[in-house]
Amino acid sequence: MTQSAELAVDLRGIGKRFANVAAVQGLDLAIERGCLCGLLGPNGAGKSTTIRMIMSIIKPDVGTVSVLGADALAMKDRIGYLPEERGLYRKMRVLEFLVFLGRLKGMPSKGLSHRIRRWLERLELPGVERARCSELSKGMQQKVQFLAAVVNDPELIVLDEPFSGLDPVNARVVTSVVSELHEAGRTIVFSTHQMHQAEELCDRVILINRGEKILDETMAEIQAQFDPRTIIAETMDPSVDLSTLAGCDGIESVEREGTAGHWLLRLDSQCHAQAAMQAALRTTSLRLVSLRRTSLDEVFVTLVTQHGGHARTEVR
Amino acid sequence: MSSSSPRDHRSGTLVRTAVVAWREFKHTALTKAFFFGAVVVPALMLGVVLLIPSLISGRAAPIIGTVTVFCSDPAVVESAQKSVNERGSDVLMGSRSARGVIEQMAMDASEPSGIDVTIVAAAASDSIDALKERVRAGELIAVVSITDEALHPPVPAAGADSPEESFFDMFVASSTSPKHTALLQRAFCDAIVNVRVLATGADFEQLSALLRRPVAITSRLTPEGEEATENTERRFLIPMGFMMLVWMAVFSSANQLLTTTIEEKSSKVMEVLLAAASPMEILTGKILGQAGVAAVLLVMYGGLGMAGLIAATMADLVTPGTLLLLGCWAVMAYFMIGALMAAIGSAVSDLREAQSLVGPAMIILMIPLMLWLPITENPNGLFSTVCSFVPLLTPFVMILRTAGAIEPVPTWQIAAALLWGAFTTLAMMWMAARIFRVGVLMQGKPPSPLELLRWIRER
Repeated sequence: MTQSAELAVDLRGIGKRFANVAAVQGLDLAIERGCLCGLLGPNGAGKSTTIRMIMSIIKPDVGTVSVLGADALAMKDRIGYLPEERGLYRKMRVLEFLVFLGRLKGMPSKGLSHRIRRWLERLELPGVERARCSELSKGMQQKVQFLAAVVNDPELIVLDEPFSGLDPVNARVVTSVVSELHEAGRTIVFSTHQMHQAEELCDRVILINRGEKILDETMAEIQAQFDPRTIIAETMDPSVDLSTLAGCDGIESVEREGTAGHWLLRLDSQCHAQAAMQAALRTTSLRLVSLRRTSLDEVFVTLVTQHGGHARTEVR
Repeated sequence: MSSSSPRDHRSGTLVRTAVVAWREFKHTALTKAFFFGAVVVPALMLGVVLLIPSLISGRAAPIIGTVTVFCSDPAVVESAQKSVNERGSDVLMGSRSARGVIEQMAMDASEPSGIDVTIVAAAASDSIDALKERVRAGELIAVVSITDEALHPPVPAAGADSPEESFFDMFVASSTSPKHTALLQRAFCDAIVNVRVLATGADFEQLSALLRRPVAITSRLTPEGEEATENTERRFLIPMGFMMLVWMAVFSSANQLLTTTIEEKSSKVMEVLLAAASPMEILTGKILGQAGVAAVLLVMYGGLGMAGLIAATMADLVTPGTLLLLGCWAVMAYFMIGALMAAIGSAVSDLREAQSLVGPAMIILMIPLMLWLPITENPNGLFSTVCSFVPLLTPFVMILRTAGAIEPVPTWQIAAALLWGAFTTLAMMWMAARIFRVGVLMQGKPPSPLELLRWIRER
C-alpha cells in the first residue's frame, strides 16, 4: 500500500453528515503526488464537501484526512484552492486582492505584484490589475479566482468547477495552464461536470455518488473496463446496407445510426476488432471505419444510473 | 511562473492574522467616508470650539452719539453715563461665564470697546416727538423718557404683595443692534435703581454687596474621613462623556465587524479565506483590524473632548491614571462587543437576519446608558458594585464609576473588575470563535439560540 507521505491526499474512511443527510460516507481516497485527478459526480454527490474536508475548511465527523503527508491545516500555504462559487471582494482592485491572498498564503510581498502581473498576462487578463473585481465579467472573475488559487505556486491545487462560467476560448486557456502545472509536477484535483474536459485532462477519475465512491480508475483502465466493443462505419454510398454483416466474424448485430450511411457494428466478446473492421471494408467502400471509444459521459451516466440515479438535494 | 517558492517564506499564524487585520483596517479606515467621519468632522468640531469665543465675542459695531433723557432728576443722567462707560466692555466681551482659554480669547478679542455715548438731559424747549424724528434721522442714538413715578414708585404697605412694575420709555432707531439696546436699557435701569437707593440715604454699592447671593461649596465626607469637593461636571458629565465616547467607538467598529463578516460570507469570500487561514486567525485578524478603527475614533473624538476640557480649564478632572483605566475598560468593551458582533455576523446570511440576533444583544447593551444616573449618583454604592460584575456591562459600568467617582473606587474592586472583565472577554472570544467556525459555512435560515449553543459545543 502507498505510504501516506507519498500521497498528496490521503482520506481514510471519512464521513460527514449535515442534519439528517449523509453528505459523505466511508470515503477512502489516495491521490499520488503529481497526479491530475478528476473528482466527478452528479449534483449533491458530495464532491464539494469532500473538497472542503481536504482543504480543512470543514472537519469530517469520522475518518482521517492527511494532505501532503500532514494535517491539512498545517499545509494551507502549500495548497491552492478554487472554490465552486466565486469569492471576490467586490470593491477591491484585482492586484490588491491577489496580493492580499498571496500574502495570506505566506508569499513575500517583494516581487509579488510582478509575479501576479505575469500571471495575469498568462491568463490573458492584461491591464485588469487596477480594475475593481466587481467591474470584471463573470469569466474574468473566474480567471482571477483561478489565479488566486495558483499564485502561491502550491504543490497541491484543488479546483472545484474551474471551468464554470468560462467560454470555450477561456476554458482552453485555463486547460492549458492546468496542463502546464501538471507537467511541472503539481498535484491537481478538480471537480467538474464537463466530462470532455475531465477526459482531456485527467490521469485518473474518481466518481462519487450519494457520498460514496463508485469509481476510482485511471483513464486507461476506464477505457478498457468500459470498452463498448462497437465499430463505427460510414459508407461512401449512403444507400448501401451493411446489415448483411450481422453474424459474420464475431459481429453480433448491425444497426443504422441516423440516415447518412452511418452504421454501428456490435462485436461479441471473442471478436477481434481488427478482423471485424477488415470484414466491413471487404463488403463495401467505406468513408470511415473506427473502433468506438467509450466516453466519460457514458461511463458517468451508466454508473450513476446503476447506483441509484442522481444524488439527493445538494447539501452545503 | 514558479521562480520563487512561497514555502521558503512560510509565515505563521501571526502573519496571517496581521494580513487579515491590515486589510480590515485599511478597507474601513482608509476610505473617504471614514476620513470624513473620523478626521474632518472632529477637526471641524475642534475648529468650532476654538471659533465660538471669537464668534460670540465678535466686536460689535461702534456706538457713537448722544442719548437725550427726559427726567426730572439729573442724577439719573450722571449715573447712566457712568453705567454705560462701565458696562460697555462687558456687553462687547460676551459671556463672563466662559472659563480658561475661551474666556481669555474673548477678553483678548474685546479690547477696544468702540463706545462713545454721551447722555444729556433734554432741554426744556425740546419736544419728545421732535427728538424721536432726530433718532429716526440718525442724529441721536436714543431718546429716553423717565417719569417721576418710575423714579419714585410707591412703597407697598407692610404685608402687601410685591410692588407693581414700573416703566420708562426708550426710543431707538430700528437699526440699533440688540446688544447696544441692551446696554442702554441696563444702564438706565441701574441708574434709576441707583437714584432710588440714594433717595433712601443708603449706599448703592454696599446694598448690592449685601444682596449678592453666596455660592455653596459642597463637600462630601467619605467613610475614610476624607473630604471630597462636590463637582457637578465631574460627577455627571465626565462619566457620561467618556461612556458615550467608548460606546460610539466600540459600536461603530463592532457594527463594521458585523457587516464585513456578513458581506464576506454572502459573497463567498469567506471560503477563500478559510482555505488560507484558520477561522481563529480570520476572526482575530478581523477583530484586531476593527480595533484599530475604534482606536482611531477614540483618539480623534477623545482628543477633541480633551481639547474641550483643556480649553475650559477642566483638564484636571481627568487624571492620567483615570485615562489609563478608561483605556483598559475601552479595550475590554471593544473585544467583548466585537466578538459578539463577529459571531452574529458569521451566523447569518444578510443584515436583515442579523437584526433578529442583534436586537436582543442591543437591549442588554443599552442597559449601561440607562444606569448612568443611578451609578453616577452613587458610584461606590452596592448597586454600582453589583452592576460592575454583570457580564457585558462590566467595562461600561466601570467607566461610569472610574470617571465619575469623587472618592476613588476601591482598589480591590478595580482589580476584581479587571480580572472578571478579562475572563468574560476571553470567554466571549472563545464562544465567538466556536460560532464563527461553524457559522461562516452555514447558509439558510439563521440559527436559533439552541443551535448556537450546539455550535459552541460542537467538536
